Amino acid sequence: MTQYTICVYGENAVGLLNKITIIFTRRRINIESLTVSETVRKGVSRFTIGIKHEKREEVEKLVRQIRKVLEVLAVFGYLNDDIVYNEIALFKIPTPADAKPIDIDTINKVYKAWVVYWELDYVVIEKTGTEEEIFEFFRYLKPHGITEFVRSGRVAVGKTPQGLVEYLPEEMEWEYAI
Amino acid sequence: MKTSEETEVLEAVETAKFLSGGQALMESFLQEGVDLIFGYPGGAIMPIYDALYDYTDRINHVLVRHEQGAGHAAEGFARTSGKVGVCMATSGPGATNLVTPIADAIIDCTPLVAITGQVFSGLLGTDAFQETDVIGVTMPICKWNYQVVDPDEIPEVLAKAFFIAKSGKPGPVLIDITKDAQVKMMTKPFSYKKVEKLISYNPRVTPKADQVEKAAELINRAKKPYILFGHGILISQAMEEFKEFVEKTDIPCASTLLGISGISIEHPNYMGWLGMHGMYAPNVMTDKCDLIIAVGMRFDDRVTGDANLFAKQAKIVHIEIDPAEINKIKHADAPVVGDAKEALRLLLPLVKKGDFTAWKNEFRKLEAPEKELVTDRDLKAEGQIKMAEVVKMVSDKTKGEACIVVDVGQHQMVSARYYDYKKPHSYIASGGLGTMGYAIPAALGAKFGAPDREVVAFIGDGCFQMTIQELGTIAQSGLPVKLVILNNNFLGMVRQWQQLFFEKRYSFVELQNPDFITISKGFGLEANRVTERENLSDALDAMLASDKGYVLEVVVEKEENVFPMVPAGTSVSQIRLQ
Repeated sequence: MTQYTICVYGENAVGLLNKITIIFTRRRINIESLTVSETVRKGVSRFTIGIKHEKREEVEKLVRQIRKVLEVLAVFGYLNDDIVYNEIALFKIPTPADAKPIDIDTINKVYKAWVVYWELDYVVIEKTGTEEEIFEFFRYLKPHGITEFVRSGRVAVGKTPQGLVEYLPEEMEWEYAI
Repeated sequence: MKTSEETEVLEAVETAKFLSGGQALMESFLQEGVDLIFGYPGGAIMPIYDALYDYTDRINHVLVRHEQGAGHAAEGFARTSGKVGVCMATSGPGATNLVTPIADAIIDCTPLVAITGQVFSGLLGTDAFQETDVIGVTMPICKWNYQVVDPDEIPEVLAKAFFIAKSGKPGPVLIDITKDAQVKMMTKPFSYKKVEKLISYNPRVTPKADQVEKAAELINRAKKPYILFGHGILISQAMEEFKEFVEKTDIPCASTLLGISGISIEHPNYMGWLGMHGMYAPNVMTDKCDLIIAVGMRFDDRVTGDANLFAKQAKIVHIEIDPAEINKIKHADAPVVGDAKEALRLLLPLVKKGDFTAWKNEFRKLEAPEKELVTDRDLKAEGQIKMAEVVKMVSDKTKGEACIVVDVGQHQMVSARYYDYKKPHSYIASGGLGTMGYAIPAALGAKFGAPDREVVAFIGDGCFQMTIQELGTIAQSGLPVKLVILNNNFLGMVRQWQQLFFEKRYSFVELQNPDFITISKGFGLEANRVTERENLSDALDAMLASDKGYVLEVVVEKEENVFPMVPAGTSVSQIRLQ
């Protein structure tokens, strides 16, 4: 199974996510991760969808089929080598009085992770990285006991000098949201 | 200076000029040239029907007996008229009854705008009476769908709906309008601007020059080229351009089931149609050609059989408007993305004048075994009446110029084989979805779309009972739609498969049929039954001469099989003649 990242640009409309995911369902492709947010262009959302698949041509068909959805403006499919990508993970670690102390120095310097919140009896640590890096950090923290662990979907940018928004249809006067 | 009272009066006049959502819908229809709607009223669409009451001088509404009938009738209308078919239904069950025709329209690329009523916007999501999430239900089967909750949106949304339904690869659009959006007044004057393109949807009509050039190069180099054309020829009205292309290149051509009537059956380059029950030569020759020029077709599995084995020796030029169809089933060596009419127009000056007499003769040589084993046997006037005889006789009596509407099953294949289609838009069938019950409503729609043509439907006894209530719609419309029931008292196609592939284990395929004549007469149609061959010709004459809706039941041989046949999932080379 190869990981693919599919970036979809679409009009920020009610139900568009549903229209996109239906195509995955029809082709029996499981969505491994999903991130949706508005782009710098107002009214345009970017969906970053992570999947695993054995056949490249099937992923290409999927991409073309997503492009058929009316509100979709552009679709791109990537292999991991084509993109820079990251996820964010949050770990809640208990810190009772008798616990083994947490080595903040290693966490910061070796794992490039940060304590973002703390109380007397627990801390929350944030780690940004690839899936592998996050799981490596997970294994490091495991002996401390992890009360809660959550991973975001992937965000990715292509390894090309230009941005994907430049592929969007040109005819429209785009308003910038930010 | 105006008094305050005067100002108030003026404002009242202003407001009165604004339209309700329902009226805005009617005005939008008029702007799009809609003068015919198939529909069925109900609670959540009553304000729209109330608005329609004042537009009946400009918009004809056909009251069907079941919403499925409205959808199929709108499809039939779209297929013969080339216009967008419009149907309306209420929320909940009304809307879900439209699901089958919408699914049918998306797979056969039929332009359809379906309007459904919806509960008040404040009640959305509360399981209100007759509330169904029709947007959710129809999402995977609509080209586009949208829920309107504000009457101000109606003109813009309708303009978008009609553009999407008819442009590019046509398809169904569903617009769900909440009851309050139908009742409320717009807050601005009605103004309508037709949509010509959308930022997110702007299908390529004119193909790229380099794609056309590459296609021309492959065509010019081919020694044994073979054209497979589909529904796209008819949808893009490319019949003239296609004929010119065929005549200049002299390449033999065959159609898919829905491509039938794209070129006259009498054309010397037309070899017939291919597919699971298609003709022998058109199927077998896909294994012999060195180039397939696919025009407006999508390599459906009923055409290719096992797609991996289909035409694997041949290169493929694929002319297609939908880029998602390129390489979907078969790899295209030269894809040409664009409208068939435009693509053929651009290709024409680039292709060489050809002479493929010898190559065409290879097709013709294969006609002999098919004639002997299939055609002659089907048409042999012996024993009980056979479906083929009936179709052939109607073909002769209508000189191959009628519009034939068919349902799904054996009679569908027989009608494709034995009618001599001479005019375009003459074979109206549910091809992709295979919707039994399509023909009765679609025939009525087809007649509305082509009032000057003779419309004859061939319908199996099973299919007939799926939408039998639409006989009432035909009677009320007063139109002379001619329905021929080919009654073998079986679900014939399923029975044939059970015979051939399930050791004759006839599992639930025999029907105890009603008296179709009494039923048809009860609905107010003329009706007649034929059981003997000697009465068939006269009965058909009487049916064709009638100026009323007419049902002719022909009792045909019970266990007739349709051949040739490519067993499902096998290579077309496995085609069986008996």
